[in-house]
Amino acid sequence: MAKAKTNTEDYLRMYRQMVRIRTFEDNANQLYLSAKMPGLTHMYSGEEAVAVGICEALTKDDKITSTHRGHGHCVAKGAEFKEMFCELLGKEEGYCRGKGGSMHIADQSNGNLGANAIVGGSMGIATGAAFTSKLLGKQDVTVCFFGDGATAQGLMYEVMNMAALWNLPVIYACENNGYSEYTKTEEIAAGSITARAEAFGIEAHQVDGQDVLAVNALTQKLVERARKGEGPFFMELMTYRYHGHHVGDINREYYRSKDEEKDWKENKDPIIRFRSWLVEEGIASEDEIEAMNEEIKKDASDAVEYALNAKYPDESEVDMHVFTDIPHALLRDTA
Amino acid sequence: MPHEVIMPALGMAQDTGLIVSWLKSPGDAVKAGDALFEVETDKATMEVEAPADGFLTDVQAEAGAEVPVGNVIALISDSAEDSGSIAHAAPAASTEAAADDAGADDTALPDGKEVIMPALGMAQDTGLLVAWHKAPGDAVAAGDILFEVETDKSTMEVEAGHDGFVAALLAEAGEEAPVGDTIAIISTEKPDAPVQRSQSGAKAAPSSAPKAETAPAAKPETKPAPKPAATKAPAPARADGRILASPKARRLALEQGLDLNRLVEAGHPQPFHVADIEVLKALPSAQASTGAAEASRHLTADLPSDGFDAFAAWAAETSGLSDTNALLAGLAAASLGREMATVSVERFGQSHAYYVPAGPFGAITDAEDDSAPDLILRDLRMSRVSTVSLGAETAPVLTLTRRDVGLCVTLECAGHQLSATEAVGLISEFAGRMEQPLRHLL
Amino acid sequence: MRNITLSQAVNEALAEEMRRDETVFIIGEDVAEAGTPFKVLSGLVEEFGTERVVDTPIAEPGFMGIAVGAAMTGSRPVVDLMFGDFIYLIMDQLCNQAAKTHYMSGGKLSVPLVLRTNLGATRRSAAQHSQSLHALVAHIPGLKVAMPSSAYEAKGLMKTAIRDNNPVVIFEDKLMYNDKAPVPEEEFLIPFGEANIKREGADITLIGTSSMVQVCEKAAEILAKEGIEAEVIDPRTIVPLDEAALLKSAKKTSRVIVVDEGHQSFGITGEIASRINEKAFYHLDAPVLRMGAMDVPVPFSPALEDITVPTPEAVAENARKLMSGEMIHAA
Repeated sequence: MAKAKTNTEDYLRMYRQMVRIRTFEDNANQLYLSAKMPGLTHMYSGEEAVAVGICEALTKDDKITSTHRGHGHCVAKGAEFKEMFCELLGKEEGYCRGKGGSMHIADQSNGNLGANAIVGGSMGIATGAAFTSKLLGKQDVTVCFFGDGATAQGLMYEVMNMAALWNLPVIYACENNGYSEYTKTEEIAAGSITARAEAFGIEAHQVDGQDVLAVNALTQKLVERARKGEGPFFMELMTYRYHGHHVGDINREYYRSKDEEKDWKENKDPIIRFRSWLVEEGIASEDEIEAMNEEIKKDASDAVEYALNAKYPDESEVDMHVFTDIPHALLRDTA
Repeated sequence: MPHEVIMPALGMAQDTGLIVSWLKSPGDAVKAGDALFEVETDKATMEVEAPADGFLTDVQAEAGAEVPVGNVIALISDSAEDSGSIAHAAPAASTEAAADDAGADDTALPDGKEVIMPALGMAQDTGLLVAWHKAPGDAVAAGDILFEVETDKSTMEVEAGHDGFVAALLAEAGEEAPVGDTIAIISTEKPDAPVQRSQSGAKAAPSSAPKAETAPAAKPETKPAPKPAATKAPAPARADGRILASPKARRLALEQGLDLNRLVEAGHPQPFHVADIEVLKALPSAQASTGAAEASRHLTADLPSDGFDAFAAWAAETSGLSDTNALLAGLAAASLGREMATVSVERFGQSHAYYVPAGPFGAITDAEDDSAPDLILRDLRMSRVSTVSLGAETAPVLTLTRRDVGLCVTLECAGHQLSATEAVGLISEFAGRMEQPLRHLL
Repeated sequence: MRNITLSQAVNEALAEEMRRDETVFIIGEDVAEAGTPFKVLSGLVEEFGTERVVDTPIAEPGFMGIAVGAAMTGSRPVVDLMFGDFIYLIMDQLCNQAAKTHYMSGGKLSVPLVLRTNLGATRRSAAQHSQSLHALVAHIPGLKVAMPSSAYEAKGLMKTAIRDNNPVVIFEDKLMYNDKAPVPEEEFLIPFGEANIKREGADITLIGTSSMVQVCEKAAEILAKEGIEAEVIDPRTIVPLDEAALLKSAKKTSRVIVVDEGHQSFGITGEIASRINEKAFYHLDAPVLRMGAMDVPVPFSPALEDITVPTPEAVAENARKLMSGEMIHAA
């Protein structure tokens, strides 16, 4: 495995963040299965090294835009379980006061400009955030997370073109988990993914998305260069989603085999791989790791319990936040 | 702490899951991730894994049961014994549930043909059951009147439709029942314990035996007093319904107590706008234009209802005079005090004219279709209308409405049709005859 | 007071706001040296440079998306959409992203963005460069919609829009760019949601938007000669809408015609007429009439195009009918 960091605390935080994502998703899945969560959700399990490897290379002021499969990005960028579970359950204390839900969690305090329920919908936003950074002379870099499926959207090519023309500090991070919803990526993407960016003169890299240290090392380099005005960059992160497209996508053998899923889970799991590396390197003992896992499990179940009991927003909130300056949009026009 | 095993939400729009089979038995040791049971949804059959290590206990639903998503169907406990800590979760579609779902009244209904609340009006959701004409246990023929129902339009008698016995009456007189609901059951065999219930679910005691006396065919006095209609200011008489006027013109007329009808009578062209309100104000006042001869007359009299009902029953039995309308026409004509009269009787929106010569009621015949009536009798006893003020028509009108337990007679006519004295005479005579028909006949 | 063109008024508003606030920038196709095909932005790039007057490739969804992201992170973009007809291209970024971000984030994020575009037929530009599509965006909660009716409104509303923290869409009538009107030299803003009574009258209310305000004013002049006093009202913004002012006038005159250049069906005229119907019904002495553009794609031929939009004569004719109590659509 690539060795990018030497600081024990950093390694342990990366491990912790990956386990936090996995634990968050296990709980979210359980909430869905037990019919306690309204709506659907898309599990990030299996892709933890991508979000954590990237976000650990960013500062709090750096921005990210996220996707419908966005819980991992949100946790990796510093979000708290309690506010996230509250949002998943539509509660007032959620990050978006229950108005966004699973697919729209935004955490501005940590630079997360929000998940987006339109596939590829945030590519303009990420590029625009980078535009602000350049216009106002800030140091922020923006990472745009999207999946292989979003590479089929035209918006991507329009904004990559402009980002390249204007040398914007944006990194396009394509999480290639092999499936565009219920279809194999090779059936929806002609040619090479990285070549798409290269056509605009954007430097593109492919990296093992199950290796958190490799992802982190590459991101650190690119972020540093983007801050110096050498952007944009493109990364294709080879990864895998353990669940279906969404939690209700249970019967998926028509598009991928159980054997394939088993292989990724048993042989390429980013958490198992990093855990054994930590033990081999003497950074943490099995006991310490188990204790950390248990602590995170408890954090999560406490947050779930809290969120289940938290209050829903008051009905009077329904027409709040339509506009910034009109407290209740529906009262405005009433004569 | 035992872990709950929950019927999972698997499909996109799924409410229940069918347990195909249990793969573990109660008391079995299980590990987290072990397949516990198979569940079938609209999409597929899949295995559901145990959420934790432990023993499978407290299994609440057998294979074959359809269980609402989110329901606890078992526990994974620390020991193999059932804890009994789950509140019984009724399967969504088991036979027990069906019985439970039968509602507050758990008396099993007898077998038989169902009689439903019929749809009578165009946009009618419920019908008011006015009266049952049969009692539980009574024998009925298909053509027998079983009950009377009132809708927005009228009251109707409904036939049984089946031969047999009244095995169950599932609504009480005075109750509304949704159209299409079963309100009676007619069995082929005489029922041992006929059922009588109300719609509201309060259980009436099953009647022990059929009633001794047979209910008369027409027995309107058993009908509960209809709910009073919302009282409204009497609408002014209108030639043919609507007046076309702007909302503002209507509002101003209302605010200023002006009657837009007067513009209609004055032949002013419609639609009326605010400008026409000025025209209306300039019209000669109502008092000035309406002479004493043109005054309309409106008189009412109250009386008990049982006199006529008894008379009708008696007349039908003894003389075969079963046409109630003809009897009413006879009493009305006699009140007019003429040798002969044509009386038009309106009931349920249908009008029928009778030729009434002086003498016995047996001589009453149908009038010629085109003959103008001397008197109109409007029978609204079955309707919810409690008071009328409809204005004069081509002939004096006597209107019968229900009032409390008795009846109300209203006479309306134009000033030139009857003098004030004649009007008082007519209504007094008619009220007296309705109260004690036989005495007046004799 | 000096008279300047609507085009100059917009240019002045942008220049003043860009001087005042360095986070304001302009982005769009041919906005810099070209100053747009209508030359509205001429000269701005000389003062503010290509970093703040940003020429883009022909990629409307792309630069609209970039503007949304820039607005969410501290800039105040003014997006130049060359023709209102291109709104269809940016619908996702405008309606799914810009309009909903503040709400979906529970008030945490905001999108202070101005989308400048235009409307108006009779420029012989045919169906893809002549549409008036403001009703499309007015339908989406979260977007404000301004419709200047003269150079004065164009300047005051633009300056207010740039300072607003919500996404605002401004529709300029492309036939009015060279129309002059008195505009004060000193700074002024026009608040959103405040209608302007252009002309007072007691007999009938004519509500017009954008260029239709002029049409209503001309109709009022025709009617005045016949002794009919028409009141002309310009809502100036349709979101938010100054419903109170419209209702007040409707109650005063009892008769209303709503005139707008969008297609008549499912449009602004229907919305305003409906609100008056709901809230001033008992004050109406006649049905509220809608007069919009014909429900046809805008035709190219002048012989056809000119009859698709409301004219002063047509407005006056309908006003006469309402005044005389003639039954309109009474069958």
